[in-house]
Amino acid sequence: MTTGSVDLLVVDDGAVLRGYDCRDVVRVEEVAGEPGGYLVRLGRLGSPREVACREVLRSVALSPREIRPVPEVLRERITGEKPWAVGLTGREIYLLY
Amino acid sequence: MIGEVIGMVSTSGISPLDEAREESLREASIEAEASGREKSQEESGPARSLLVFFLGAEGFAVDLAHARKVLRPSRIARVSGASPEVLGLMNCQGEVLCVLDLRRILSPGREMAPPAATEGKFIVVIQHGGKEAGFLVDAVRDVTELPASSVHPVLDSIDPSRARLFEGTVECGGQFVGLLSPSACLNP
Repeated sequence: MTTGSVDLLVVDDGAVLRGYDCRDVVRVEEVAGEPGGYLVRLGRLGSPREVACREVLRSVALSPREIRPVPEVLRERITGEKPWAVGLTGREIYLLY
Repeated sequence: MIGEVIGMVSTSGISPLDEAREESLREASIEAEASGREKSQEESGPARSLLVFFLGAEGFAVDLAHARKVLRPSRIARVSGASPEVLGLMNCQGEVLCVLDLRRILSPGREMAPPAATEGKFIVVIQHGGKEAGFLVDAVRDVTELPASSVHPVLDSIDPSRARLFEGTVECGGQFVGLLSPSACLNP
């Protein structure tokens, strides 16, 4: 981790790349009988929760300038869990939860 | 035209008195032309610059004051849990841009497959009231300048859920196009 950056665990939920704060990750489990299915258990920083995803890809360090606000137009059109920010690098876009 | 004719006469070697009279006539005619233009603008309202674009054969327009830019689509990252009109997020010159499917916005409630490809299409970035989004369209024609009086009301026959998306109808190049309301298109 470099100064001021945020380390994220990047997972593919089948539609988009999601990023979770590495410090919040408790455990990653492979879901039995479902190839490519994983369960990410979170809760070190807050209340426990789990996220199912297709693949756990990597961890990335995003600098503060690579972390952008979620466009208002998108925020208004998301039902359920809303990302708190968007990670924007030269190559990828991540939704940060 | 009047100015051009007067200019030709004054250079043909007539007396200074005639020249002065011609000069005052020319000034008067320029003022009259300007006043005529102003009068006509007062009658028809100030001119509006509109960006005209297409979805298939259907034409639409948006006030140029709200059209920030026109882009070619690059990779659009889909967003899970978003409403169907959201195509995703795009890196727009270092900024995060939410891209919306205008076709789907214009047909609320209708089942529709997402666009198979964005190749050859355009994204019109519209900004209003602090909000901004890119709208995927098939083709962009040009910018047209029209008097405000040429904006006609939306036809009564249009479905109200669709009609709310329009400010009116305008005729551009012999075709009626729907003038989109940026506010209605940006707000769900």
